[in-house]
This record gives sequence, structure tokens and C-alpha cells, in this order.
Amino acid sequence: MLDIEALDHGFAGNTLWTIDRLHWSGREMVHLQGDNGSGKTTLLRVLAGLEPPRLGRVRWTLDGQSLVPPCPGWVVYLHQHPYMFDTGVLDNLLLAARWHGLERAHARERALGMLNWCGLGERARQPARSLSGGERLRLALARAWLLEPRVLLLDEPTATLDARAIADVDALIDDLALAGCAILMSAHHPSPLTARCQRRWHLRDGVLFDDVAQRRESNPALR
Amino acid sequence: MHELLETTGDALVLLLSFDPDLWEIIGVSFSVSLAAMLFAIPPALLIALVLARVVFPGRWLLISLANTLMAVPTVVVGLLLFMLLSRSGPLGEWQLLFTQPAMIIGQWLLAMPLLVAMLHSALQGIDQRAWETARLHGAGKMAALWRLLGEARFGVMAAVVASFGRVIAEVGCAIMVGGNIEHFTRNITTAIALETLKGEYAQGIALGLVMLLLALILNLLLGMLRGRGRQIFSS
Repeated sequence: MLDIEALDHGFAGNTLWTIDRLHWSGREMVHLQGDNGSGKTTLLRVLAGLEPPRLGRVRWTLDGQSLVPPCPGWVVYLHQHPYMFDTGVLDNLLLAARWHGLERAHARERALGMLNWCGLGERARQPARSLSGGERLRLALARAWLLEPRVLLLDEPTATLDARAIADVDALIDDLALAGCAILMSAHHPSPLTARCQRRWHLRDGVLFDDVAQRRESNPALR
Repeated sequence: MHELLETTGDALVLLLSFDPDLWEIIGVSFSVSLAAMLFAIPPALLIALVLARVVFPGRWLLISLANTLMAVPTVVVGLLLFMLLSRSGPLGEWQLLFTQPAMIIGQWLLAMPLLVAMLHSALQGIDQRAWETARLHGAGKMAALWRLLGEARFGVMAAVVASFGRVIAEVGCAIMVGGNIEHFTRNITTAIALETLKGEYAQGIALGLVMLLLALILNLLLGMLRGRGRQIFSS
């Protein structure tokens, strides 16, 4: 699904990280770890196509198509603080539905379904920017899920949430993963969400360490 | 004091009796200024969007130029346009001097810097995440730009209202390139200047009341927009 070759990125002549080779089938949920400033957000943005890498190649293979990011609607990146358009809660979903090309009546029906799914069905008319941090993340997940993306890149989704909000978001992400959406999330604090990840990528000193690749290296039987 | 009250009473009678000469002058003012705004808003939006979203050499020079041009006196714009449009000027062949199109061009020149500067300011203030979120959720470039305008709508409306206020209230350019010709290029501000010089205060006061009312409406609009803007407490 994701293939990276000789990827290198940095700012003002300094290298932030280098990734020689990486493959992700998308079947396992991945936790991207690393200290502040290690380049987690930048890596997610490069994978989403929001920033071009300095060197190297990122390629997504989705539904048999080989794509170079950005892949709108297929690979969706959620900012650490998801952006809420200055409209109502339901309108935030309707905007995404319209961009996705859904027909008006179907878009409304689907948006309302998504609102109920994320537990904000009663808040449809409320300004989206009046929602709390946890509610915003739930709405952003619903907005992304409305497009039925193949990959969701989550940047520190739980960094500012309390335990209750994390549990709510955890349940939604569980649904997404079960429905076949590949999930890669960055987080530098452990949480129930990171605990459910089956694979760990660790950015350290400008190098990405992949626990699955490392296990394969140390155990010839897994190669 | 008594004379002032009497003249104000005459002015109100003129206004409320729908005096045709008076309302024709008001009509010229509004049609010229609205036309100037209609022609100014699309290019100003385009320039402001480019200045706000595209990084290119000389960008800050253009922004500084727009800010500087906002301060140019209306008579200077009028003088420049007069020289261009006068019979011996480079655009003399167009025969536009002392016509409404000349007034529209003058007001267009006055509105553009203010519109560009205010629209740029409104559009530049939009969070980069708005563009990224729209694009990643499948919006094409035009749809994403349209959304950015939606996000900046209060700033955009404030720019339009303020620019309209500037052009409809200006007198220097209108009198120089319009010529204050009765039934043709006489608008509110040039008529007030002329009527006052003639000692005919009633029509001047009536037109002044219209301008005051317009200023009040525009300020109320701006106040409402600012009030709405305050509700945006976070992004």
C-alpha cells in the first residue's frame, strides 16, 4: 500500500530524517513515535502530499492504482487540531460531501448518518467552532470518514484530550479500522489508542526504526 | 439657527416629496459608485488572493504599493485621469472626459488599492489548515479558493463596505473628470459643493442627509460584521 524509497527531508540545509526503504501493507494500525521535533508531523505531511520531500519517493497503491501524494479523498490527514470550517457542524460535513461529488439528497442523508455515528447528531446546527477539542476531533473523523478514505493519517490525535474524550475517539477509530481504513497515527504519549497499534515506527536521531522490519531482521524465519 | 432649521425643513420636503432633480442626483451617485465597485471587486479579489496565497519576488513591494495608494488624495487621482482623458492626453480619443464612464474609472482607481489592501489582509489571516483541509477532502483548487473566501467573508464584506463608502463620498475626482454636468454627471458630492457655492442650501442639506444616512447604514453594517467576527473565538 505504502512504499517509500530513499526519502529525505529537512529544512534550511539540515536533515530532519532519512528513510531508506519502508513498506506498509495498511493492514496493521501503526503508531509513529518520536520526541518533540523528531519530524513526526513532517513525515505525516509528506505522506499526505502537503509537503514535497527534499529527495526520494512516496507511492501509495490504492485499489490497484499507483498514486503519488496528494491523493484527495483517498489519503486524508487530520491536523493535530483539526480545522473546523466557519459553518455549522452539519455544514462541515456537507462541504466535504459536496467536494466528494455526492448528490445533494444523498449527501445530506450521509452527513446526518455520520453525525449520529460520531455522537454529534444533536449538535447539527451548532457552530462547529464552538465544539470542544474532543468533539472537534470526532467531527473531523466523521468528515474524513464520509469520504470513505483508504488511509487516515492522524497527527497526535489525543495530545490534548482527557480520558473520556480519548475513549470516545478510540471507539470511532476502532470502527474505522474494522471497516478497512488503514490508520497511521503519531503520538508521543501512550494511550489506549496507541496500545491497540500492531506496528511501531520510531523516529530517532533522523532515522525511522520499524519494529516489524527489525523483527524480520533478527528472525530469519520471518523474512 | 432659525434659518438652519428652516432650510433643513425645506431639505426634508425635497427628499420626501421625491423631487425628481434631487433623486436623479442620488441615482447618478449610486449607479456610478455601484458600477465602479462591480468592476473593482473581481480583479481586486484576484490580486488579493494571489498576494495572500502565492509567494513570488516583489510580493511585499506590491502590498506596500497598495497600502501607499490608499492614501493618494482623490483630487490627485482626478488630476491624473483628467490629464489622460483630456483631448490632448494619451486617451483623449476615447472622448470620456466629463462622462459617467470617466467617473466610474476614477472611482475604480480609488477603490482598487483599498479593496486590494483590505481583502489581502482578510485572506492572509485565514489559517493554512483551511486550504489543506479542503484540498485533502477532495475540493478542487477553485472550490478550495471559494471556501477560503467563505472563511474570510466578514473581512471581505468589510472591505467592500469600506470601499463603497470611500468612492461614493469622494468629491475631488468626480468633479474633475465628471464636470458636475446637470442631469448627466452631477452626483451627491459635486452637487453639494455647487449648491453651497450658489447659496442654495436646501438641496445641499438634503443630499448631505442622504450621505449621513448612508454613512450610518454602512457603519451599522460594519459594526454588525465586527460583532459577528468576535464570535470566532478560535479556529
